[in-house]
Amino acid sequence: MKTTRRQFLAGTAAIGVAGAIGAPNLFSQAFAQASNTLVFAAAGTVTGSWDPSSHTVAPQITAEGFLFGRLTRCPMTPENPGEILPDLAVSWSQVDAHTLEYKLRAGVTFHDGQPFTARDVKATYEYASDPSRPASAWYPGRVDVEVVDDLTVRLSTKAHGYPALNFWYVSSFLPILCADDVANPEKLKQRPNGTGPFKYVSTTGDQINFQAFDGYHGGKPAIENLVWAYVPDANTRVLGLLNGQYHLTERLEPEQYVSLSKEAGIKTDRSLSSENKYLHFRCNKPPFDDVRVRLAAFHSIDRDQVLAIVGEAGQASNCHLSPVKFGFTDVEGYPEYNPEKAQALLAEAGYPNGQGLPEIEYITSVGFYPKTREYGELISAMLQEQGFPVKLTTLEPAAWEEQLYRRADGQGPGHIVDVGWLTGSPEPDLVLRPNYHSSFALINGINDAEIDASLDKQRNALTQDERLKVLQTETLPLIAAKAPSISLFSSVFLRAMSSKLDGVTFFPNGPVDLSKATLS
Amino acid sequence: MAFAIEFFVRRLSQGLLIVLLVAFVIFTLLRIAPGDPIRIILGPMATATAMEETARELGLRDPIPVQFGRFIVQVASGDFGHSFIRGKQGGASGGSQDGAPDLSQRAPVMDLILTALPYTLILASLGLVFAFLIAIPIGLAAGLNAGRWQQKLGLYISSFFVSLPNIWVGVVLIYLLSAKSGLLPAIGYRGIAYAIIPAIVVAIEMSPVLIRAIAVSIAANVQEGYFNVGQVRGIPRSKMIYRHVVRNAAVPLLNVFSAQMIGMLLGGLFVVEYIFSFPGIGLLTINAVFQRDFPIIQAVAILASAVLVLINILVDFASTTIDRRLKF
Repeated sequence: MKTTRRQFLAGTAAIGVAGAIGAPNLFSQAFAQASNTLVFAAAGTVTGSWDPSSHTVAPQITAEGFLFGRLTRCPMTPENPGEILPDLAVSWSQVDAHTLEYKLRAGVTFHDGQPFTARDVKATYEYASDPSRPASAWYPGRVDVEVVDDLTVRLSTKAHGYPALNFWYVSSFLPILCADDVANPEKLKQRPNGTGPFKYVSTTGDQINFQAFDGYHGGKPAIENLVWAYVPDANTRVLGLLNGQYHLTERLEPEQYVSLSKEAGIKTDRSLSSENKYLHFRCNKPPFDDVRVRLAAFHSIDRDQVLAIVGEAGQASNCHLSPVKFGFTDVEGYPEYNPEKAQALLAEAGYPNGQGLPEIEYITSVGFYPKTREYGELISAMLQEQGFPVKLTTLEPAAWEEQLYRRADGQGPGHIVDVGWLTGSPEPDLVLRPNYHSSFALINGINDAEIDASLDKQRNALTQDERLKVLQTETLPLIAAKAPSISLFSSVFLRAMSSKLDGVTFFPNGPVDLSKATLS
Repeated sequence: MAFAIEFFVRRLSQGLLIVLLVAFVIFTLLRIAPGDPIRIILGPMATATAMEETARELGLRDPIPVQFGRFIVQVASGDFGHSFIRGKQGGASGGSQDGAPDLSQRAPVMDLILTALPYTLILASLGLVFAFLIAIPIGLAAGLNAGRWQQKLGLYISSFFVSLPNIWVGVVLIYLLSAKSGLLPAIGYRGIAYAIIPAIVVAIEMSPVLIRAIAVSIAANVQEGYFNVGQVRGIPRSKMIYRHVVRNAAVPLLNVFSAQMIGMLLGGLFVVEYIFSFPGIGLLTINAVFQRDFPIIQAVAILASAVLVLINILVDFASTTIDRRLKF
């Protein structure tokens, strides 16, 4: 049975033709989506508990954006970071140093049909701000709520010793829960019941199904069904978008963003986030317990080169806050790349040309933030050039996250750690206090009385103007000068969607407003 | 019959020991490798105290041999435990700081595996069918035509396929066959059509070994004296090939199939399922690794090693049945 070349080629060609003819008939419509169903390919998971006060997980905050209403909304634009828009509150005012008053929207109902009233605001605020709740770190402290009438509440911080203005922006972040649910924590965990544009239907494996809420106060969304599909791999998310299985995806790599920008049928979105990327120094152990060594490292790093690697996913800024946060300023004297200064500081600290420095471990992750390994290698090389004996440790996210925070003994592994910090409102203290106040200093362990005093001073300011002044002229320059961390750049979120999708609004901390979106 | 009983008793007891060793190694590695499931369960801002309490409640602070002993006793009673990360509905979750996970609200590992297994079996079967469809004609042609263009073609095709990383092949095929041409769906699973592109990727990864094994085995038999003698005695060439050459070539092929192919198939499926978000055991396991979901990783490792051991035993038994000279 000899097979000739001709027979072989004829046979393979026949198989190919048969496949080409048969395949379209069999499968061409196989993956068409049900009409008016939007599939959102999400990069992260939710927690399994729908109680918003039980977690600080960014993807779940995005999911909660579909489900829950808040008193106010903050678009967080760099042009006007302090802008506040109405949501469940129609107006708000500062009554005195310790009191804020909110007038609530009438005629709003929860997904289960219960009417929204001042009682729900009281239950939510008092519950979520309780220090025993895990997410209470997002709130400035305990708050008491007075129900003036069904549609008026007063937040009071008097009994807890700090100004009520600390809730001014936080009110755009805290999801409003139904008072009856708050009274029953098990119910609260098991299913979300908000006033948002979509209501929860079910969870099937890694897919969460939402449905447009008929009674949404802003009008029923045009998108009838919303599917949250958890897709961990960035390439899979992109390919699913390209073949029409997904309509919207997030957390693109810079290269993916650039190539998708050129694809027909795809729209891209690039917007500044409320996240900055930091290199934290472990300030409570040598050699970074010496501010001169920290500053020497700061002056050794050319952030322009880092940004060249990060590409579309970063934006230069000279501040430890993102430009969409209240208080952002281009800090005067922010430490710049200056090898001569680095050498002088090293010599002054007793390490001329880096001699005598211990091996410095720089811990970073791969697969979570864009380009961390690539710019980690660059930064290591720049530090080595100035004499820092740096060893770069690149870990996958689960291992990196374990190394990130300080342990029970107050110490953290390594000496430099790469991390981002994302918060959901313009409130600056949500970044500054956990990172730089000695009572927290979750990563760097800084313990500096001057920084503490300045952080307390801005927090206790009685007017927004006064607070802004303290932040911009004292607190942020002080943090830059003491350098417990380097703020490398502000993160830019890169997303892509089907060109059939219109009317989407993205928030700088991740949530997506689909209440006015249409899918043609 | 006595041979069969003695064979299975001996090999199964050896196999059990191997599975236990694999289980212990995986169990130990998981606990000493960097990455703490408690951080994933409770989220980034959990306090050190809360983390310690949760770890203790889950028994993760006991000495490894104690944890392993407890685990083996549990497995012996048929219980592979509950996932740390996946809820009752099967979805991955993590970061809720309301204390240790209520394991009754978490998915039983066996349920997760049994839900994912049919998808993996569909993909594996289709991948194997495609691999054989590619490899049998090419390998047979190469083996029967040693030194001629068919053999070179077989060599070139297998060398080309072996040099293609399956991640890259997967991405390119999704782009061409799904995104650009719209011929086939590609991500997830909502019908058999969703298995075709991933199965092609699996087949491309597996076919080089098959092509080479078939070609070498067939060529070796064709060069044996019995092949020419049979034809001289008037048996047609085609009959010699189908009745004798293919049968004699089957033993080394079976060994290749068990020793290499199943291992490759398992490894390949894991990567392919991840790229295609295909809801099988591979995707479940890779996500479990990223999320440090120890109970799932342990169970999959034990079951995978048990399957490999069993297949090897069955293949050895089949080989001795085909060729009694291999009886031992």
